[in-house]
Amino acid sequence: MSTRLISISSLVFLGIFLVQESLISQFRLPGGGFSILIIFALSWAIMSEREVAAVIGFSAGLLMDLSQSSSGPFGQWTLIMLLASYGISYLGYGDDNFFGGAIGVVLSIVLANFLIELLFLISGPLLGVSIGSFGQIFTILLGTSIWTLFITPIALPLFAKLHKSIFQTGTLA
Amino acid sequence: MSKGGQSRTRLLLVILIVTSLFLVTLDLRGVQLLDNLKQGTQNVVSPFQRIANSVLSPIKGFFSDASLLGRSGSQIEKLERENASLKSELLERADADVQLQQLKGILDLAGTAGYKIVNAKVISQGSYQSFAQTVTIGSGSNAGIAQNMTVLSEYGIAGIVKEVYPNSALIQLASDPAFRIGVRIVNSQQIGFLSGRGERSAVLQLLDNSTDINEGDVLMSRGSIANRPFVPGVPVGYITTVDNSAGTIAQSATVRYYTDFSKLSVLAVVVGGPKSDPGDALVPRKPQPIPTPTVTVFVTPTPTPNN
Repeated sequence: MSTRLISISSLVFLGIFLVQESLISQFRLPGGGFSILIIFALSWAIMSEREVAAVIGFSAGLLMDLSQSSSGPFGQWTLIMLLASYGISYLGYGDDNFFGGAIGVVLSIVLANFLIELLFLISGPLLGVSIGSFGQIFTILLGTSIWTLFITPIALPLFAKLHKSIFQTGTLA
Repeated sequence: MSKGGQSRTRLLLVILIVTSLFLVTLDLRGVQLLDNLKQGTQNVVSPFQRIANSVLSPIKGFFSDASLLGRSGSQIEKLERENASLKSELLERADADVQLQQLKGILDLAGTAGYKIVNAKVISQGSYQSFAQTVTIGSGSNAGIAQNMTVLSEYGIAGIVKEVYPNSALIQLASDPAFRIGVRIVNSQQIGFLSGRGERSAVLQLLDNSTDINEGDVLMSRGSIANRPFVPGVPVGYITTVDNSAGTIAQSATVRYYTDFSKLSVLAVVVGGPKSDPGDALVPRKPQPIPTPTVTVFVTPTPTPNN
């Protein structure tokens, strides 16, 4: 990645982070809402090579760790997002990708989002994070998945265009 | 991908994983640098949150209403525009009324107990992605707020100050799974501790197993040394179910908080505790049943004229 690409991508990431922290966080959405940063990072990761996807996941996770409402130790989100982005790119990038088509991509992002939450939930207690009651965990897991399913098809074309205009290799636009 | 490319990707992945684990280790060891990074980020983000809060505040509940506006026709559109504008004004007014009501409740509560408080608006809700329950308020260390101070809502305990920044503060809500508070039951004076569960209900565990607890018993905060993190005598909640299962070491119960965490718009941080323990002065009154007026109608039959 050239310096220009890194600079522009960083600015885009910061913009999305600001949208998440200042706009979306204003609404107490039922079922836990959604994270536009996770959707964005996964969308870009699925359109990128593994190497780039790993950097995307790392950067998104770092920003999520910087969020004041992040409850785990610094680095937990970084690690989870890095693994998720690399994994989704491994399965989704290229002509022989695992998902095939826009619907497959949307569903894979929803599934990845669910697995990310689950991974946070599993790794949380190991790192000293308290988790809530079973009912609350179930509600959040289900709620965030439904919200992601609802938001991803709306946001994906925009993220794909953004990716294409920066990297010139968009696969979903 | 070529062999060289593959090994480069693997190397990068390993480096990034090691860096992540390094960050986790640093944080768990309490390295100050990471705290400063978070504080710097919050200083940048909080002005945006404040702006977004003031812009979006009247329209937070407006989306459902706005979705109904979609018909065509100039007259209808004009009327709809007027209607939307009036609705927006009404919502702004309703929003201000709610905030005023909450503020009045908080001032009543704090005034009765003699707490010195700093009021602040909620400028952002915490993310649920980390399974945490937090909000951000628009006042910080510049207003005298410090870490581990009690935060009140109009009905009682709302949480504690977890992180403080110059112009904002992060509040850990009482519903957060990591939240713990020492409580006493008003009538029996039994003591125990309450743990958040990520929702409006919490789990109470008593220290003594011999006394009975009953549904509806009111819980108050016990207070901490130097009133931090908890000032004494704050209403916490009431018992909804008692767990009487045999073989448990400590008696436990489910408690419902007085505070509705989904409707917080104004909070108060207790910056100065009471000179003396307010005791049970803040115990909420039980709602009195409103008597239904019975209307008795007496009908006097009109005397039938005799023919």
